[in-house]
Formats: sequence, structure tokens, C-alpha cells
Amino acid sequence: MSEDISQLTAFIDGEPYFFKNGETVLNVVDRHHGRGHVPTLCDAPQLKPYGACRVCSVEVAMQADGPRRVVASCHTPISAGMHIFTESPKVRRLRKNIVELVLTDHPLDCLTCEVSGNCELQTVAAKVGIRGVRYPAGANHLDRPKDHSHPYMTSELSKCINCSRCVRACDEIQGQFVLSMHGRGFNAKIIKGLDQSFADSSCVSCGACAQACPTSAISDKFFSKSIEATKKTRTVCTYCGVGCNLTVATKGNEVLSIQAPVDAEVNHAHTCLKGRFAFKFYNHKDRLRKPLIRQADGGFKEATWDEAYDHIVTNLKRIIADNGPQAVAGISSARCTNEENYLMQKFIRHVIGTNNIDCCARVCHSPTAWGMQKSFGTGAATNSFEDIEFTKCILVTGANPTEGHPVTGARLKQAVMKGTPLIVIDPRRIEIVPYAKYHLQLRPGTNVALLNMFARCILDAGLVKKDFIEKRCENWAEFEAGLRKLDLDELEKITGVNKELVRAAAIEYASAEAAMSFHGLGVTEHEQGAKTVMLISNLAMMTGNIGRPGVGVNPLRGQNNVQGAADMGCQPHQGAGYFEMNDLDVQKRYSEFYGTQTPSEPGWKIPQMFDNAIAGKLKALWLMGEDVVQTDPDAHHVRHAMDSLEFLVVQEIFMTETAKYADVILPASSFLEKSGTFTNAERRVQRVNATVKPLEGTKPDGQIMCEILQRFGFPQPDYTPDGVLAEIAQIVPFFKGATWENLGEQGLQWPIKEGGVDTQIMHLEQFSRGKGHFHYFDWKESNELVTNGKEFPFILTTGRILEHYNCGTMTRRTGNEQIVSKDLLAINPVDAKAKSINTGDTVKLFSARGEVELEANVTDEVKPGILYTTFHFPEAMVNNVTGQGCDADTLCPEYKVVAADVVRVNA
Amino acid sequence: MEIPAELAARIDEAITHYPVSKRSAVLPVLHLLQEHFRFISEEAVAWTAAKLGLEPIKVLEVVTFYPGFRQEAPGKVHIRVCRTLACAMAGSYEVMNKFCEVANIDRSHTSHHHPIAKSDDGKFSIEFVECLASCGSAPVCLVEDDLHERLTTENLGDVLAKY
Repeated sequence: MSEDISQLTAFIDGEPYFFKNGETVLNVVDRHHGRGHVPTLCDAPQLKPYGACRVCSVEVAMQADGPRRVVASCHTPISAGMHIFTESPKVRRLRKNIVELVLTDHPLDCLTCEVSGNCELQTVAAKVGIRGVRYPAGANHLDRPKDHSHPYMTSELSKCINCSRCVRACDEIQGQFVLSMHGRGFNAKIIKGLDQSFADSSCVSCGACAQACPTSAISDKFFSKSIEATKKTRTVCTYCGVGCNLTVATKGNEVLSIQAPVDAEVNHAHTCLKGRFAFKFYNHKDRLRKPLIRQADGGFKEATWDEAYDHIVTNLKRIIADNGPQAVAGISSARCTNEENYLMQKFIRHVIGTNNIDCCARVCHSPTAWGMQKSFGTGAATNSFEDIEFTKCILVTGANPTEGHPVTGARLKQAVMKGTPLIVIDPRRIEIVPYAKYHLQLRPGTNVALLNMFARCILDAGLVKKDFIEKRCENWAEFEAGLRKLDLDELEKITGVNKELVRAAAIEYASAEAAMSFHGLGVTEHEQGAKTVMLISNLAMMTGNIGRPGVGVNPLRGQNNVQGAADMGCQPHQGAGYFEMNDLDVQKRYSEFYGTQTPSEPGWKIPQMFDNAIAGKLKALWLMGEDVVQTDPDAHHVRHAMDSLEFLVVQEIFMTETAKYADVILPASSFLEKSGTFTNAERRVQRVNATVKPLEGTKPDGQIMCEILQRFGFPQPDYTPDGVLAEIAQIVPFFKGATWENLGEQGLQWPIKEGGVDTQIMHLEQFSRGKGHFHYFDWKESNELVTNGKEFPFILTTGRILEHYNCGTMTRRTGNEQIVSKDLLAINPVDAKAKSINTGDTVKLFSARGEVELEANVTDEVKPGILYTTFHFPEAMVNNVTGQGCDADTLCPEYKVVAADVVRVNA
Repeated sequence: MEIPAELAARIDEAITHYPVSKRSAVLPVLHLLQEHFRFISEEAVAWTAAKLGLEPIKVLEVVTFYPGFRQEAPGKVHIRVCRTLACAMAGSYEVMNKFCEVANIDRSHTSHHHPIAKSDDGKFSIEFVECLASCGSAPVCLVEDDLHERLTTENLGDVLAKY
């Protein structure tokens, strides 16, 4: 049905103007005259209309010369035939008077104020023509103290105009509810927490309030609203897989501050504290600035790049000559760009001549990539973050989104607070659990048992979408038969989750019009990790939750570019574009493309590289931005492997635990200093733009790879991001239509077809493998618990916190260190009592591999028998305790199930 | 803070009136708590927040918005003197002064955020409030929940003598 245009026309200052249903008067006036024509104070594009300040008042009449009324345009819905007068003498007088009143209680210290030149109050005051304040000086709040208690957030509430933008940002964007208005009328004031300082409040320092504040009443230590910067560059965050867009303000070659672009589709003016504030590592004194070569005495000596390259080429050529190319391996980094990962695997495969190339996806989402390929044909999220707005049910399995993927976590929380039911499957009572309708708090290592129960309950409830299965899937009968023979009572005992609770949650998921699944490393980092991924895929298929808005299976990828690293071929079994390396046609195609012989021998995965190093088969290893000693499990074993190598090259920005074992260290540039693309968890390929020049002495990883390719005689042009992307587009089918230009500011979601047509939702008509494949698996107890469970009766599970990122080399060198400076061990009060452990006590955590000392945190967020800690601090070195168990299909380490024990060290 | 079973039951019942948003139940819960404890302590704010699944700040903002919620403990006998127009015209300020004189209360330290003044012995406390909806018999006051009308500086002693 076409809409009658006359029904959607209003008149703005006498001119007819078309509008859309649902728009406010201000939306349409902004579009007509441009933002700022009608002044606003309490309105902000990232927030809902509020109507507090009335500065946006306009006159409205229902006939051109009919009676007029003054309304606040920001929250008045526009209607057909409305005549809107934006500049009548009456509204101009009104606006001026409102601003004048605001100024009676505002310090007029603009010349020394950090936001001078970018203050909305200043701009509005100028716009409405304030030349003085007619009101006499009276009571005011100019003596309110400043709050500089927090490493990042600041407040100076004498400058507050009570617009509530900060409160709404905290509520509507982050969902943390730290800020509010205390009191009423003239005495109303903004408070943090229960009238505390920022540092004492429960603020998570996302900075959304500071960005929303129109003055400098709430700001940050980096003065992100000042106009001091000479350049602003849009780029993509280097931390998690959400892929937040950032606007980086720089002056000369210095990064001053970071804000979030309001128009960014991924993060809509939001970031977490890592993205917005944890950037000061980039020019930290500890940054590596010169290539280092190991000397005979064991020390490092500074070298020129030429010397370092020569040393590498000589040694690698010697090792290849003596042992063959299989004695060399490379591990690329999910923190680096697509271009850099692509070049790294190109170097290892097509110049060194081995498939020994892997990346840190191995230790996180390799089971997702593998499992979803088996089920659907593509190992990537089926839908987009935007779908959170459309879904009717959210299932979160083994993920802690508010800490691991904070911007997506906040978006999930917002949807849930608006009424979308949430099911959480997690061994811990994580932050999002109080918002959940169902929390299935299973025992670690029983995902398969629980999801089998879940599926069986859907089957029992008669909620299986048979027509979808018949049309689009295969092997249902085997899966159904497997489910039919399950004993729910037995599974209840195994998982520790009441079967009726599982049934209710399963019915919620299966009967929702659209249900969307998210999962994280709590799914993958298990012996049955890939199997769990396939079971989650089964749930989506059996309920028809595929190929529509608001549905699907959506891994929350851990690192900024872990999707991209695998896409680019940094896995031993699949080359760039996921082509199987054991396929002769594929080998032929690559050989022709690169003009070198493609290796046919299967490559080693990361754990196999370590084993082969110890066995003496792997002689040389090249690491690009990967700290395997601190982050891979069983650190003793990893150290032994590093020690056993003949030659280790490490490209790094800091001297990591792993770099200490290197023979050559090449100082690389950080994300702020280079250009390329990152692919986020929703397959969105986004442009990373250099904001400053590389730190003196360092080189971007892409340039290093190009130079080393050249040194090996490969006809590799110098590094340009658009040039390498163009090469990738020739060999990776789902990048076919990607060019540097058409990625634009928002990026494109692969598959990107010719002409730059991208894909928000995958598997629309059919799965990328044709039919979706059901797999059935029985639950199996983790070998770790079978072997060591008697001697070490606790189950330790590990994860991340909001403030720190993986090995922490970056976040530990920022203000985040002042917020959280150690790993804590969570233990249930029942166990703590039995072991005489109190919060704050030092405890020894030990397993069959080793022991570490940690500070205890007694909390019922974990069930009795379960321990939890993070692995961010080398002082604790939690991975001395984790084991060598791993996913049977992909060798992803089992960080989530460790047989351990704990004892108090001192009070 | 201990919630007696009978109060807990009344609170639970009150919450059932707000099936869509528990946030709407903040007001009735606070009224019940104030009725029982005579004021809303920080503990009561935290308890209400936990009860309704809200952040404490979302309760505190309500408590501080309405002057009807007391954030500090009143005396054993709490007096609320109306100061809205009719009562003010009819002499409520004189009545307030007289009350303070008779009950030995010093109001000089009261403020917007601390409106209540107490007698030295803690028996009486007093505050100005807005309209008590009895303008025809101004000036009026509430002593605890009893309305006293047509107050004069002379008949105040009789009013207080009842408590």
C-alpha cells in the first residue's frame, strides 16, 4: 500500500516538507534546515528525546494563520498539515530567556574551560544572542567541588545544566545506572552512585556520559571534548571482536583522546573503557623501538633493520636447507589486520613452503569456525548485532558479554530491559544474569549434556519446525534418534541443572517468533567444544531460527580480528578464503596465483607446533604479535617448547613473556599507527586508518612482512593497505567486491559481492553448504576430570574481565591498571569456610601442572566446587595451572575445565 | 534492618499491583517502609532496590525527589505544619515558631535536604510541609497522622499535651 504523500507533509517556515511516520518536529526541522538551526541543550542524537530544557521550542499551528502554540520540538511528534515556525519573535525571546536563566547558575569561565569552542551551551548562548544576563546574582551552585578521583572520568558539577544527558547515556546506552538526579527543583544535582565519587561508584568508565554532556560538567582526563586536536581520524578499536568505530583526536604525532562516532553502525557513540581510554600504551616507555638480536652471552643487542633481516634470512634459509620447510612455522595474530595476516600466511606457505601457519583463533574460536562449517558451511556469525533490536528471545551460552564484549553486552542488556527474554547458560552468575529470565548454571564441562537436554525438551514440547528441517536440513533422523534415547534425569545429575528449568527455557527459545543465540569461549574452550557449537547450530535449525532478522548463531569473537585471521588463511588446513589445503585443485590454484609451489604436507596446529618443537622436529618459529607463554595453557610446556627452538622470531610492540625467548625481536607498530582492515564478529570488514606515524624505530607488521617477502626474493610490492586488499579480493571469494574505497566509513559485511553488495544475514534461502547438517553427540566427561579429578577435587574455569585484555601487555600499561591490578580467585562461601579462606587472603591454586598464588574473593557467583579466575597478570601466571586438554576436533585448549585445588597461604 | 513478616507480606502484595514495571512499585514500597521505620534509611534504599531488581540510585532519586520521604529519623512524635498559601496567610509561621518554643526545638539548622528539627529530648520533631488539603480550617498541622485544625498560638499547648 503506497502512502498518500499529502498525509505526510508539514510546513516548516512556510515551505512544504515531507516526513516519515514516527519522526519528531525536531527530526524534520534538522533535516530541512540542518542540525543546530533550532538550538538544543538536552537533546543528543544518541539519546531518546527528553524535553527538559525547552530551548528547542518552536511555534506550531494546524493552519497557516491559525492559533499558534509553543512546543518543545525534540519530543513532539510531527503530524500532517502542521505549520512549524522555527524563528518567530516569540520563540526567539523564549529561547534567549531560558539560556539566560541557565547562565545565572553557570560559571562564565569559558576562556579557561576545557571545552571552550566545543561547548554546546556556549554555542547555543551565542546563537540565541545572549549579550548579558539580566537577572541579578543570587543563589547558585558555583562552589560544587570537582571530582578527580577516577583514573579516567572527571566531573565539575558547577558547570552542570541539569539536562540529564549523562543520566540518560548511563541508562540508555550502557545500562549501568550509576548517575541520577538527586533532589528536586533548584537543589537538583547529578549524583554518582549513592552520592559518591566516580572512583567509589559502580561506574564502568565507558565514557558515554562524558561524551553526552554538553558542557564539561562530566568529562575525562584526556579532555576529549576540547578543540586542541588538529586532526581527527576514524579507525577501529584494537580490543575485542565487536569492532567499535573510534574517532581519534591527534595533534602532531600525539594521540590526545578518543571518542565514539555517533553514526557508527556497530557502536552508536558507545565504547567501553578499553576502546575509549586504554590507548596510552601506544607511546609507553616500554614500547620496543629497535630490532634486537640475541647474543652468544644470552643478552639482546640492538640492531638495524637490515642486520635483523639478514640474520633472519640467513638462519631460516639454513634451517630449511638442513631440515626442510616443515621445520619452520608461523603464528599470526588476530590483533593484526587482515592484510598483515594474509601476508604472513602467504610468506609461510608460499615462500617458506609449509602449511605450518596458525593463529590465536586456535585457542579461542577455532571450534566455532570448524563446527559452524560442518553445520552450515560457513564458520562465522549468521546475523548482525543490529538484529538484537528485532529478536524476541536471546540465548547466551558460555559468554560474559558485558565484560568480554561490553558494547554488545550493553546492547543485549538494553534489549532485555525492554522485555526481550534472556536465557543464560553459564557456570557463573555473571553480570547479565539478574536480567535473565532463566539462568542454567551448569557444571563446567557439561555443555553437551545440557544442550542435549535443551534440544530434547524442544522435541518433547512438539516445537520442532518440521517444514524448515524438511526443506533445508539433513540428517535430522539421526539427531532425533539420539535425543530420544537420552535420560533427562541422568543429565540433570551431570549438569546440576533442574530439568524443568531447562524445559521452561527450551520452550521459551523454541516458541519465540525469532530467537537469537550468542556464544563465547565458554562453549569452545572444552574437550567437546566444536561439538557444542554444532549443538547450538542444531537448536537454531530445529526451531527454524536461521536466515531471518533477529535469529541465528552468533559467536562473540574474542579479538578485534580473529574472524579475519582465519578468513585470511592463518590455519594449517585452510588457506586464504577457507580453501582446503589438501585439495589438489586448490593447491594448483594457489600455485598459479602466487607463482610458487604450494605445500601439500598438512600443517601443524599451535599445540602440535609446541610438541614438535620439544620433539626437535620444529626448529624455527615466527610469531607475529602473540604471547604464547602467558596466554596458552600449561605455561611450563610452552616455555619448554620455546627453549627447544633453534630460532625464534617475534614481532611485538612490548617485551612479552614470549619475546624473552626470541632470537630476533622486530619492533612493530600498534593499531593507532597503521592502516588496513579488521573483520569484526558480524563479518564486517572495516577500515583501520593510521592516526599517527609509526613510533620511531618501529614498522607496521604489514610492512615487515612485505620487506621479508622481498628479502626472500618474492616479487612483493611495498605495503599499501589498498594494494594488499585488492590482492585479497582476487583470491578470497567472499572479499570479491571489497575495495578500500567501497568499504566506506561503516565497512561491509562479507560475503561482499561485486560492486560492494554486502550481507547482513547469511543462509537466507539455503545454507552455504547446501543443506544444514544435524550432528548428534553424546556427552563425555572431560579427560582432565577423569584423570585428575580425584586428586584435585575443584573445577577451575578461567575468563576475562572488563578492564583488561588477554595477556594485558596493553591494558596493564594504561589507567586500567589503577582500576584493577591483579587476578582474583573466586570461591564459593561454603568451600571458603571449609578451607578457612576469607576474601583478601592469599591462596595457593594448584593442579597437576603447577601452582600459582592469588588473592581470594569469596563469592556465591560460583557454585560450591567451582573456582574462577582471570589470566591477565604475568605476576600470577594462571596458565601455569591450566592443562593440555583440548577440543578433540580442533585442538582448542580446554581453559574452562581444570582439575585444581586450593589452600590458604596466610591470613 | 529487619522486615517483620506482616510488613513483608504487605510489601509483596503491593508489588503485585505493578505487573509491567517493578520500578513503578518503588513509591508504594517506600511508603510502607516509612510507615514502619518512620524514615527511609540508606539500608532501606538498598533493600528496596534489591527487592525490585533496581540499582539503589533509582530508589534514592525517588526518595530525594519527594520531601514526603524522610531521610533521617524523626522524634517520637512528628509534627507536620502546613505552609501553603491558606495556612501561611492564617498564621502557620507563627504557629511553627510557637511549636518550637513550647517543645524546645531549634530549627535554625534546617535546610532543603534536612528539613526536620528535633527537640533536645528527641520526643518531638517538626517540619514544614505543603498543603494538607484542609484550607477551610487553616492553619492546620498533622501530629503523627492526626489532623489538628484552626491552630492558634494559644491552643498549641493543648494539642501537644495529648502526646
